[in-house]
Amino acid sequence: MPGELFNQLVDAHYTPLFRFALSLTRNSSDAGDLTQQTFFIWAKQGHALREAGKAKSWLFTTLYREFLRGRRRAERVTALEDLGPVEADPPAPEVDVVTGMDAGLVVEALQEVDETYRAPLTLFYMQDFSYKEIAEMLEVPIGTVMSRLSRGKAQLRAALARKESAGRSKVVAFNHPSARKLS
Amino acid sequence: MNNEEAKFILQGYRPNGADAGDAAFRAALEQVQRDPALREWFARQQAFDAAVSAKLDAVPAPAGLREAILAGGRVTAPVQTQTAWWRAPVWLAAAASVAVIFATMFALWPKQAAAGTALADFVLRDAVADKNHGGHGTGSLQAMLGDPANRLSRGLPISFTALRKDGCRTVTYEGREVLEVCFNRGGVWFHAYIGRRADFPALASVPVFLDKEGVSVASWADETHVYLVASKAGRAALQQLL
Repeated sequence: MPGELFNQLVDAHYTPLFRFALSLTRNSSDAGDLTQQTFFIWAKQGHALREAGKAKSWLFTTLYREFLRGRRRAERVTALEDLGPVEADPPAPEVDVVTGMDAGLVVEALQEVDETYRAPLTLFYMQDFSYKEIAEMLEVPIGTVMSRLSRGKAQLRAALARKESAGRSKVVAFNHPSARKLS
Repeated sequence: MNNEEAKFILQGYRPNGADAGDAAFRAALEQVQRDPALREWFARQQAFDAAVSAKLDAVPAPAGLREAILAGGRVTAPVQTQTAWWRAPVWLAAAASVAVIFATMFALWPKQAAAGTALADFVLRDAVADKNHGGHGTGSLQAMLGDPANRLSRGLPISFTALRKDGCRTVTYEGREVLEVCFNRGGVWFHAYIGRRADFPALASVPVFLDKEGVSVASWADETHVYLVASKAGRAALQQLL
């Protein structure tokens, strides 16, 4: 394996790959493991890739496949039909609410989105891949990607609204009658 | 195309404008120009998407992940594309090579095992001598070694210069420099010894264990360094580190 190429690939992609892994695994150490595993698979097999320009998409596809493989092993598969109906489209939070939120909180909201929608949604928000490339990576038809983005965004808006509301209620709690009794 | 269809398609339009040239969005974007309500919806949607993207972009990778990947990559050997043997014109030569490799391995095996055992014995004796361990060694490597999320056999970012600066103890084994770092993981103390691969070429790459006098030692190597970790907590505790 040409070491220089490997170093370049790591420098260029390890952070976005980690972010994708974090959204899938919902856990920083599992995300780190998954990112490392992906690069080690590259070190073993990726050098055989004929088109160097496809390395990035290869890495993301491999990470996703490894995630699915690990999840199957852990028997934590949630069948699509087991997922409840998508909630009615809730009111979108104001953009400045998202802007004012901590990045970690936004990622937590993203992690609350059903896994089926979370993978395409995260790839979309990374902005590195078009919907066509996302469809190829996840091996689903383009229409399915569009549909999952639509449902995923609705779930994300709902999760963000819950986070925002929880943040507000923490502040309001000081004015609660039971809190006033103490003073 | 009605507004509902346009909204459905435009959910896939990235806020950084990378899809501006994609013909699949053309009709929906034209609809946006025609309909003020749709235009307002699209502007809010794009602003929302851009805000979420910016937040995702702000999430950093954990410290040490890059170094761990690079170190692990160095010890991960590429797998060559397999060709059916009957198609390879040099299969006889390959078979001969395999025979040579087996012969070499057979010749080196006792020496390799002996070299590894001698060094592990030295580490075992050094690790149990309390006077040798006084809380030395600080810095990022010690933190990484103590982090339960890190598996040591996947590679470690080693710099002898940085380790010496961090206060690691240097021991000498048969005239060769070995650095020692103590670390605690989950309440259990371990002693990691790191040498240069060039100084110990015979040490096996795969983890080898030695259990003796109530102490266990795991040893392995990558392309640049050899690693030995000793602990009184037993072999199972060492296996969990790897």
